[in-house]
Amino acid sequence: MKRAMLAAVAAAAFGLSANALAATEIEWLQWFAAEQNADFYEGLVEEFEAAHPDIRVKLVTQPFGKVRESIVTNRAIGVGADVLGLNMPWTSEFLELGILEPLDDYLALESNGFDTARLVQAPIGKIDGSTWMVPLNAFPFVLHVNLGLLERAGFDKPPMDWAELKEMAVAVSRLEDGVSGIGMPFSSQPPANGPILTFLPLLYSAGGRIVDGTTPDFDNPTVVETLSFLQELDEAGALTPGVASRTGGVDLEEFIAGRTGFLISPAVHASAIVARNPELDYRLVRVPQNGSKAYRVHGWELGIAADSRHKDEAWAFIAFLLSEGVNARLAEASSALPGNLDALDDDAAANDPVFAAQRDILENDEPVEELRQAPRTVASWSVMTEEIQSMLAGDQTPEQAATRVQSRWVDLTR
Amino acid sequence: MLDRLHRATPYAFLLPGLFILGTLLSVPLYKVIEYSLFDNVIIEQQPRFVGLDNYTELLSDGGYWSALLNTAIFTIGSVFGHLVIGIGLALLVNADIHPRARTLFRSLLVLPWIFTAVVVALNWQLLLNPFGVVNYSLQAIGVTDEPLDWLGDPDLAMWSLLLISTWRGYPFIMISFLSGLQSVPKELYEAADIDGANFLHKFWHVTVPQLKPVIYGVALLDLIWTFQLFPLVWLTTGGGPGRATEVLSTLTYRLAFVDFQFSQASTVAVTILGISAVFTMLYLSNESRRTRG
Repeated sequence: MKRAMLAAVAAAAFGLSANALAATEIEWLQWFAAEQNADFYEGLVEEFEAAHPDIRVKLVTQPFGKVRESIVTNRAIGVGADVLGLNMPWTSEFLELGILEPLDDYLALESNGFDTARLVQAPIGKIDGSTWMVPLNAFPFVLHVNLGLLERAGFDKPPMDWAELKEMAVAVSRLEDGVSGIGMPFSSQPPANGPILTFLPLLYSAGGRIVDGTTPDFDNPTVVETLSFLQELDEAGALTPGVASRTGGVDLEEFIAGRTGFLISPAVHASAIVARNPELDYRLVRVPQNGSKAYRVHGWELGIAADSRHKDEAWAFIAFLLSEGVNARLAEASSALPGNLDALDDDAAANDPVFAAQRDILENDEPVEELRQAPRTVASWSVMTEEIQSMLAGDQTPEQAATRVQSRWVDLTR
Repeated sequence: MLDRLHRATPYAFLLPGLFILGTLLSVPLYKVIEYSLFDNVIIEQQPRFVGLDNYTELLSDGGYWSALLNTAIFTIGSVFGHLVIGIGLALLVNADIHPRARTLFRSLLVLPWIFTAVVVALNWQLLLNPFGVVNYSLQAIGVTDEPLDWLGDPDLAMWSLLLISTWRGYPFIMISFLSGLQSVPKELYEAADIDGANFLHKFWHVTVPQLKPVIYGVALLDLIWTFQLFPLVWLTTGGGPGRATEVLSTLTYRLAFVDFQFSQASTVAVTILGISAVFTMLYLSNESRRTRG
């Protein structure tokens, strides 16, 4: 009996290890699980592995600011992940480094469990004749509003335009010590991306752009107008003190804690806000406009590393994540719209105010994504951050700040 | 034959260590120096050898000199702060008080050294936030009228960084000085007491001369560490606002991972290596003098 049991255990162990040896392991590097429920992503991996016993997925989670650096370092030493979590603004520099694999052949496969035409289009637009990434989800940049503070300041609805935003933010700032109208995260701390989180959504709502095709175009009148608006907000006392040391993370935390009236950030932050402070009288609306109904569209993207030795397996995993059922759950978990629009849950989109507001923006406003083809994007954020810091410190005018960013950005591209 | 084998044995024991050092130290060192002599490494598949061009370019770059000046201010200021606070606290916790109280104070005072740079940076960011405890306290006692942006004001950021660095680094000096104090012969203090020396006399004429080699050694070691310090600066200010707190280590990182200029980053790294090597030689020569007695 004992011998038979030992034999059974040995056979099972051998079988398991043989299975493990036969399976191909792919690595998925991303920051999504760091921002959402990590267990949810582990569950997805287990579900995929159960359906594909020949593929194992190693989930590698890093903070957003670290992922880009890891992808570049991995490429330099020739190791690293197969499936990459991507951010659209990284596209042009990653193409320059040869990091990404073109996905056109994979997207044309009949075995895909999704229709390419039903994917959110912004990230799949061709650059250099190819598609380099696909959307896991999609969300607009929005204005998160603390209705409770707004009501105390004497207002009963969120701002619709810049003038109202300024008036309400000033009024909220005057409520009490420790409460302020709106935060602007212009710290130099990595990833130092405050300008693209807050400045760009405001600029787009005024009809402005910072790139002309693939060339920096920062010193145009609409940019100057938007910079001037930031300066006005600061001088009127609408901004949270300490913009030059404020990070995006602190900005979000302060809003969740109920100490800020407004927050401009991705709509995906709604899930953290609602989950962490259910008592907050909260609403999500479009960024107040100044002549244009354009919004910054964003999302979490997926790509395949050009030096991956398991590209087919990597694609199998990506196709699984984009399949209708899985993508719908991913969208719900991240409080965003699905990358595969067939996965959109109409009931949820109609009944959940967070989804409904996002859908309203996506269906009625003009999406803007100009950073995919912009040169030296990440380095340009630091330049914008430094010049905006200097402007808000009173060391230069909005015109000078715009000219300085343009000149330094052009220098970076040489 | 046996004799030869016997003599070779120690070298065989050295082999694993030499192999590890060779792999982990020499190869990256060689690669960084090599990268600094090429144009656009990593970005270009076929980088071009440019000799010392990167060094010439670096020496004519105002950003480099500004970072070097900031590094000097940060390093000298931090080491000075570590020495003053570290030695002062070592003298206090060496006082003849109840042993339990002494152990408690020693344990508490060593805590800043135990925290990781991330924890230190986050805590100080909260403390120095315009709505933080420091600003609240200063306003409450009437020192300031409005909150100051300690880490976001170019005139205050370096001072704030020095404060944080001093807080983080003094325990090393304190512990080193404390262990040195135990080795000073008590007879010297007794003789000084008989001569009527007060506390300051004994400190300047007995303690300092006796511990001069220790102070010099730990100060040099601290200088080497602080000169290359990266995480605390990067996590606290990111080199900003503007480039007000940009030091050579953060410039290296920025050039490599923000601007993707890996050759220039390697060039800055080589200059850090050169300057650190000078400090290291000074330290080694001090240690050698101490050993010879």
